Amino acid sequence: MRTRLFIMATAVGLLLAAAPVWAHHAFAAEFDQNKPLKLHGTVTKWEVVNPHSWIHIDVKGDDGAVVPWMIEGGSPNSLYRLGFTKESLPAGTEIIVEGYQAKDKSNRAVGKNITFTDGKRLFLGLQAAESAPTDKK
Amino acid sequence: MSYRWFPLMTALAAITLAGQALSPAVKTANTGKTWTPPRTPDGHPDLQGVWTNNTVTPLQRPKAVGAKEFYTEAELAENQKREGQRLALNEEEGLPTAAGTAADVHYDFSEFGLDRAQAKLVWDRRTSMIVGPEGTIPPLTPEARKRNADRAAKAKGHEFDGPEDRPLGARCLARANVGPPILPAGYNSNLQIVQGPGYVALEAEMIHDVRIIPTDGRPHLPANIRQWGGDSRGHWEGNTLVVDTTNFTDQNPFAGAQNLHVIERLTPVDKDTILYQFTVEDPGMWTKPWSGELPISKIQGQLYEYACHEANYGLQNTLRGARVAEEEAAKKAGK
Repeated sequence: MRTRLFIMATAVGLLLAAAPVWAHHAFAAEFDQNKPLKLHGTVTKWEVVNPHSWIHIDVKGDDGAVVPWMIEGGSPNSLYRLGFTKESLPAGTEIIVEGYQAKDKSNRAVGKNITFTDGKRLFLGLQAAESAPTDKK
Repeated sequence: MSYRWFPLMTALAAITLAGQALSPAVKTANTGKTWTPPRTPDGHPDLQGVWTNNTVTPLQRPKAVGAKEFYTEAELAENQKREGQRLALNEEEGLPTAAGTAADVHYDFSEFGLDRAQAKLVWDRRTSMIVGPEGTIPPLTPEARKRNADRAAKAKGHEFDGPEDRPLGARCLARANVGPPILPAGYNSNLQIVQGPGYVALEAEMIHDVRIIPTDGRPHLPANIRQWGGDSRGHWEGNTLVVDTTNFTDQNPFAGAQNLHVIERLTPVDKDTILYQFTVEDPGMWTKPWSGELPISKIQGQLYEYACHEANYGLQNTLRGARVAEEEAAKKAGK
């Protein structure tokens, strides 16, 4: 436990340093920290576009009405290098999104975490591409 | 953080880094041995290929490191080990952010392949890219400080008025990492070099900018023609490509610099490594010139097109969000 904590503390320090502070835009200017959300939906389309990909999902409300949402995700270039392709996220896939809603109150959100219904992370566990960490030297 | 000053992000990033972390680094590319690179048909060193400058070495030296310019091999190994351990944790575990805070309004970089350690890292023993005993960008001149303060005061309260008020990066126009000097982009830190007779072309993946550098001895553009990436002229000194860049606007890559002058030196040191060195000066901006260096490493594969304008929904969302907030404030004031 102690070792684990130590590793985590170290990791936090490094991670702060690692976070790309020049990420494309200020997320906090686009999305509202007071509007966290969790959506369970079905993928209708994945837009593999720059500078950020967007996942379109249909979310069924308690009243049975289907509401379409757009979820912002990572840069296509990086996802391609992880081994993810356009075909990797077919329509019909059920996903759970945790994120924050857009400040304009439209049905758009940043997908902080996206998981399959079994809890597995959407973009992880893929076959690593050539520039994966093991390529480090 | 404020993105109004996007072009100064490089500096901001380095300051942030300086305050936060130990910085790993590695085996310096400068082994002391001279390597003879292959030649292009017109007889110049062949630097062509796809390269990465992805590194954990910060631009400016972290305060805690003091005057130490290089880590030892043992410290380097420790830093590498730590970087591996960090990646083994996902962001949720490694950097827990509190729900409902601005810091939490972001996605998990490791999940989306945006963590720098998910791509090939170029290791160097340097404690900072900036060389010398200080390892930091020199202080601004008093006139530059005043200029920047005036600019900030003028912009205050108008950050969301329209697209022109958003940072160049958020508008998909320019990014400080493209420079020159070329600096790591955080993710997609890749570049491609293509050579032809009388030219070297340098493309940065982020954000899909190509710098065409004539090497035929022609003069710079007239001084009144200013460009975001400046105007570059190259020449060869032995195996080294030397690039001189002037004619920058005052917006990029270092906002407020009126007469930026950048000199870059690209020297192939082995078949997989180019030593990238740069000197930046503007007597009206900094109290003295400053220089840095980092190795650039060859990678397999290709650049992917980072067509930033393709679907920049982020800018629309941000501005529309501001309009909604204004309408609500007006409604509230009216009642």
